[in-house]
Amino acid sequence: MTSLEIPQRTLTLTETGPARRGTRPDEVVIAVSPAFGGTFTQTIVGVPHAEVLRQLMAGIEEQGVGVRIVRVWATADLAAISHAAARLSGSGISVGLLSRGTTMIHQKDLARLSNLELFPQSPLLDADVFRAIGSNAAQYAKGESPQPVPTRNDQMARPRWQAKAALLHLKEFECIRDGAGPVELEATIERVAG
Amino acid sequence: MSGGDRLVVGVDIGNSTTEACLAVLAADGDVRWLGTALTRTTGVKGTPASTEGALTAVRRALADGGRRAEELDVVLLNEATPVISGLAMETITETVITESTMIGHDPATPGGVGLGVGVTVSVADLGEHPGDEPAVVVVPRGWDFDDVAAALNAAVARGVPVVAAVLAGDDAVLVSNRLTQQMPVVDEVSAVEKVPLGMRAAVEVAGPGRTIRTLSNTYGIATVFDLDPDQTRQVSPVARALTGNRSAVVVRTPAGDVTDRRIPVGVLELRGAGRTVTVDVDAGAEAIMAALARVQPLEDAHGEPGTHVGGMLAAVRDTMADTLGGADPGDIAIRDVLAVDTFVPAEVRGGLAGEIALENAVGLAAMVRTSRSRMQAVADRVAESLTTATEIGGVEGEMAALGALTTPGVQAPVVVVDLGGGSTDAALLTADGTSTAVHVAGAGELVTKLIDAELALEDREVAELVKRWPLAKVESFFHVRHEDGTVQFFDEPLPAHVFARVVVLTAEGPVPIGTRHGLDHVRRVRREAKRRVFVVNTLRALRQVAPGGELRRLDFVVLLGGSALDFEIPDQIADALAGHGVVCGTGNVLGDQGPRNAVATGLVAAFAGGAG
Repeated sequence: MTSLEIPQRTLTLTETGPARRGTRPDEVVIAVSPAFGGTFTQTIVGVPHAEVLRQLMAGIEEQGVGVRIVRVWATADLAAISHAAARLSGSGISVGLLSRGTTMIHQKDLARLSNLELFPQSPLLDADVFRAIGSNAAQYAKGESPQPVPTRNDQMARPRWQAKAALLHLKEFECIRDGAGPVELEATIERVAG
Repeated sequence: MSGGDRLVVGVDIGNSTTEACLAVLAADGDVRWLGTALTRTTGVKGTPASTEGALTAVRRALADGGRRAEELDVVLLNEATPVISGLAMETITETVITESTMIGHDPATPGGVGLGVGVTVSVADLGEHPGDEPAVVVVPRGWDFDDVAAALNAAVARGVPVVAAVLAGDDAVLVSNRLTQQMPVVDEVSAVEKVPLGMRAAVEVAGPGRTIRTLSNTYGIATVFDLDPDQTRQVSPVARALTGNRSAVVVRTPAGDVTDRRIPVGVLELRGAGRTVTVDVDAGAEAIMAALARVQPLEDAHGEPGTHVGGMLAAVRDTMADTLGGADPGDIAIRDVLAVDTFVPAEVRGGLAGEIALENAVGLAAMVRTSRSRMQAVADRVAESLTTATEIGGVEGEMAALGALTTPGVQAPVVVVDLGGGSTDAALLTADGTSTAVHVAGAGELVTKLIDAELALEDREVAELVKRWPLAKVESFFHVRHEDGTVQFFDEPLPAHVFARVVVLTAEGPVPIGTRHGLDHVRRVRREAKRRVFVVNTLRALRQVAPGGELRRLDFVVLLGGSALDFEIPDQIADALAGHGVVCGTGNVLGDQGPRNAVATGLVAAFAGGAG
């Protein structure tokens, strides 16, 4: 469970067709950015994407809420990705994810640049935080009032990681497919033997 | 001056607001009301610092009435209510779990359903567990839910009867969803390493929306662990502590126990005119109030030194000494106390999962009379600034009653009840003009404190908002459900930080309350706090001024003061008085001021009466 001793797991994301608008009120939609789980396989601080998704989904499952995963191809902007997903979600709640780890909980009736909870400092997000984000998103979907996930803050994160974050963003940007609609994904997470 | 008409202004400097009322008095005693004003009190009332607020109020009243300061003949100031109040609160019970006998923290999402009884085994030792004994698996922090489920499934496949699991992390549903055989799973047990291993234990989880039936029943525990009558008597507090939970774990250890210990709070000594009565504070508010009734009128109250109650009264005395500007705390005599029973959620000592128990507490409001008023200093400064004659008027209660008489539909004899911040004051004005006034401890500030403590808000500002405004639940960005169940829609989306929260609907918009409790619970706490302070105190004060102590002999009761503007306190008081045949309502001074400005208006009326 701790980020120190994560067993090796592989993540396979298979496209199953264009993303549909959900009708079930008990689902949260997770939306990933163009390069997530493909060009990139881990966040800016090395948390494997397999673990990021697994913990988010576990947090949602623990609350008894369903989950769908989509990929937004047309943009690498977190607010746009998250808002697009919120509008596809049956509950109106979504979690948006960038490859470097930046995460946001969004709701369909909010303005695009607003959000329910934002975790802007990607270097500070570990497995436990992703679990808590999933859990909160599911509680919003159920109409409950979760306490916001405590956001950590590190003044040094910006100077230390800014250059790397910028490079990762450029790379993510190159994976954008203009005009392509969001697609439904099927996630397979398998443990590497040994 | 000219033609015998005189322009007068009455000024009431209160704890939080300063009010003024402007009128013209004709030579024949006729009073023509010109204007009113309300402003914040500057500094502590009665001190020279409050002059500034008084001057502001006078200028605003003049502006309201369209007059100039030079025309003013007399400024009338009130003699401030000679009471100051203080507050203290102390818990009197403490729940202690010894030897980790029970886990009853009620996690939001336990897994599985049913009751499992077996011997506690660490998940790390599950591989060597013999196949004949039912196992309650204990999982420490650091274990992934996939691994836990795999270990449990492997043991079940090996033929080990695994009957339940206790987890450190928030994983119960995740593990349950991956099990081949269903069993109750309790999670979020933060100190799981303290669960004794190799002991008999029972784990129970109820279905969604239900509560456990076996472990919350003393005889259920006795049946599960095969206890004799003596042991059964011992586990009774365990069962009581688990009542209302959806999940629970009970471990049978040789000497484990849950006790509901009463903290020795100390003895309160109430000294009356003829007699002195002592009462144990942990006997609760009812016993204290009964003792107080026996010694009326109270002359002073003392707490046993070195005990909680001693500390409480000392704290009250110290604050009052500060307010009075350096009086010796020893010289302060407490003239009234109000004790209120309350519940404070507190973490259980010895608990394994941050269990919270509602502990009993007693809130005390105390009040002292002050003799030294420095109103003359204020009067001198006002006179100097306005170059007008300034007079200090009569008793505040009597003035308030005179002001209340300007409420349409009211006639003497009348009782005014001033619902203030620190004290509740009542004054009776009979038809022949005599008046009696009483002051009892406990008012708006005690209500705020009770709300703060019972909801564990630890934020006085938020507690104040909960007291003042109605509640609602924000159900979407475009609608809220009010506390009466009605729905209101909005055209503009509500701010993101209130989404899905219980909010107070203030004049500035919705403010979220940081609590796990639902809207109904918050509402119940708020209404109960108001009832226990204002209804109880109003009845107490009215009995003291009513002829023969009988409420039936009162005719008109007029509610005044800031708390009379509250959206439910006047209704609660009116309901409580309805059975006594009393006409009760919120005052409407001068027909348009509501419960405000009564004292300022009364000052002018009294002056007119005296002059005419």
